[in-house]
Amino acid sequence: MALLQISEPGESSAPHQHKLAAGIDLGTTNSLVATLRSGEAACLTDEQGGSLLPSVVHLAKDNIVVGRDAVALQDGDPMNTVASVKRLMGRGSQDVKRLADILPYQLVEAEGSGVPRIRTTAGDFSAVEISAEILKMLAARARQALGGELEGVVITVPAYFDDGQRQATRDAAKLAGLNLFRLLNEPTAAAVAYGLDRGAEGLIAVYDLGGGTFDISLLRLNRGVFEVLATGGDSSLGGDDLDHALGEWIIAQAGFEQVDTALARRILLAARAAKERLTDDVLTTIEIEHAQGTWRGELDRETFDELIRPLVRKTLSACRRALRDAGVDKVDIGEIVMVGGSTRVPLVQSMVSEFFERPVMCDLDPDQVVALGAAIQADVLAGNKPDSDMLLLDVLPLSLGIETMGGLAEKIIERNTAIPVTRAQDFTTFKDGQTAMAIHVLQGERELVSDCRSLARFELRGFPPMVAGAARIRVTYQVDADGLLSVSAEEVNSGVAADIVVKPSYGLTDDEIATMLQASMEHAREDLQQRMLREQQVEGRRVIEALDAAMAEDGHILSERERQRIIDCRAALETVLDDTSAERIKALIEDLEEASKPYVARRMDDSVRRVLGGRQIDEVDIR
Amino acid sequence: MQSPAAAQNYFELFDLSPDFEIDVSRLQAAQQRLQAVHHPDRHVRADAAARRASVQMAALINQAFETLRDPVKRSRYLLEINGAELPDDSATTNDAEFLMEQLEFREALEDCRDSEAPLQCCEKLDSQLRHRAGELAGAFVGELDAGQLDAAVDYSRKMQFIQRIQHQLSELQFDLEDF
Repeated sequence: MALLQISEPGESSAPHQHKLAAGIDLGTTNSLVATLRSGEAACLTDEQGGSLLPSVVHLAKDNIVVGRDAVALQDGDPMNTVASVKRLMGRGSQDVKRLADILPYQLVEAEGSGVPRIRTTAGDFSAVEISAEILKMLAARARQALGGELEGVVITVPAYFDDGQRQATRDAAKLAGLNLFRLLNEPTAAAVAYGLDRGAEGLIAVYDLGGGTFDISLLRLNRGVFEVLATGGDSSLGGDDLDHALGEWIIAQAGFEQVDTALARRILLAARAAKERLTDDVLTTIEIEHAQGTWRGELDRETFDELIRPLVRKTLSACRRALRDAGVDKVDIGEIVMVGGSTRVPLVQSMVSEFFERPVMCDLDPDQVVALGAAIQADVLAGNKPDSDMLLLDVLPLSLGIETMGGLAEKIIERNTAIPVTRAQDFTTFKDGQTAMAIHVLQGERELVSDCRSLARFELRGFPPMVAGAARIRVTYQVDADGLLSVSAEEVNSGVAADIVVKPSYGLTDDEIATMLQASMEHAREDLQQRMLREQQVEGRRVIEALDAAMAEDGHILSERERQRIIDCRAALETVLDDTSAERIKALIEDLEEASKPYVARRMDDSVRRVLGGRQIDEVDIR
Repeated sequence: MQSPAAAQNYFELFDLSPDFEIDVSRLQAAQQRLQAVHHPDRHVRADAAARRASVQMAALINQAFETLRDPVKRSRYLLEINGAELPDDSATTNDAEFLMEQLEFREALEDCRDSEAPLQCCEKLDSQLRHRAGELAGAFVGELDAGQLDAAVDYSRKMQFIQRIQHQLSELQFDLEDF
């Protein structure tokens, strides 16, 4: 039998018709949109000629403002101005507790939803909704520049994003009315932007230190095919942390005791500005306005380097782990691509270069490089380059598992497995008569469920009761090319296809998920009834056939009354065989079996007698 | 190249003969050629059914590639398609000599952790393990070719034990190198 029978998907696209497509870098601090113009990728700019759209959204009663205008409102109205929303993407209320101290705005949770929302005077907003506003703004910029509707977009995500975060990004695109071709890992996009696909074969490391995330990806390039060998990083380490480290130093130096939201913001802005100046200068002055006056301090690059060295070292540790996961020696890495504004920091460049023992690539604007790569990929996916053999093969960033007895997480798909991937694993019941099983889907590398990220919980119900250990619950995980997971479960032994598919989503409320589950369970019940009916129909036909064969052979041993009763029951059963009720067929099968009892008993006696009779003859012969 | 729809097993899928010794670069090239046709990125604008099919196909190609790339998985797969009964993962070998050898490797691993020059110690152990894995693979091929499936299963198990120790060693090397 063939492994998989599918027909080749037929794709028809009119030739020579250029499809409008864009690449979007939805960043923590800034977002960008880029597209291909006469074969060259370029970032699209606003009226002022800037390509960066600050990822800041101001939410007022009748007006939502995105970008630089929102930044202008930030100081005066911090509670209604949301920045760094990417850090909240796909995060549950539990996850963001840690961030609550850093974030100036108030987080609330809709009753039992587990999804944090940001409280503003205009209402409560989820991270998905706020991200959608940023995407809408970028899409409008692209539509205006290109003069038409977008066929589709590629949106980049950190390679380290887990399923919930990817799902949230996809939901945001949907909410913004965009057709998402693909979620693309940021580092892969960067390698594409450098045109490395046109270059020689080899290994590439992409070091991406953005505003809020750090990624290291190791890619292998071979005849236009980029293969992600391993990814690693830290989804809560970025340039913002450099600012925070410097901010804390400023607070300590200035001796501030009470730091309110507005002062904290001024300190962070001053820290960021100082960090940026220290890229070219070796000494800079910092000034902070506060209630008692102005604090003035000096910072040299050496002191700054010491403040941030532990953070940079943390990134190198992640590089080492990725190298090991890929089974690659660092001296075999051919190119090191630098991405993210924070890679402008001289210490970052020198430490990375020292680690890999070779110079790093930083010719392209590290802020734009991801968007440029996304634009190139969007153009290919839109079908504008039918001859392109560029293909980006990806891996799963974090292991996917399931909760087993004792609160342990069992891995079903290991991290860095090539995607798409489908894996099934069988589980069984542990109680007699058990007809349901709870399934808890997890993501992470840890042994304990409590240390992993909970993606979804659902129950498989309605399989027939069996003795403990007899049921076979097959749980199937499928991860698509975007790294998004869907899970289904099925009881295999009985063949009952109670099949539930849950897409973990932080955009959905519990009610919506409950409705989804209810629908699939009802579906499962229908399936079960169908199956039982078919089983009874088969059983009824089998009984009739066996009876007919027996009657033809030795029907004569029956009395006329017995024979008539059997024939009546047989006729009754035959008329309901095409019925829609399994119960009715079952009842009539039982009637027929009851009527046949004396006959069956007599046949049994006869055959026993024949066997015994035979033996007697043998015995006679022996004598 | 085989059309994936008609391939009877993973080797055929990649147009390789069903042997333990395979050309990994050929396997890699075949995998990329197949993905170039079947990967979902090649079907972004197709209908939903075709897109689903392409996800399944790409998943199958990945599964096949992963199975054949790893020597232990490859040995088990060869046994499977030759009709051997495979013990599950919890099965142990009852070869006393091999059990002793395993113990010795584990002790050597622990010794490296406490050694004065742990990294050099790891390197030495690594080359010993590599050598042993090669020997076992050779023995596996011999038994498989001779049709001695039970013996081949046993060697495959032993290869798996060695691989496990190799993983532990690389864990240790990572810990030692990390700062």
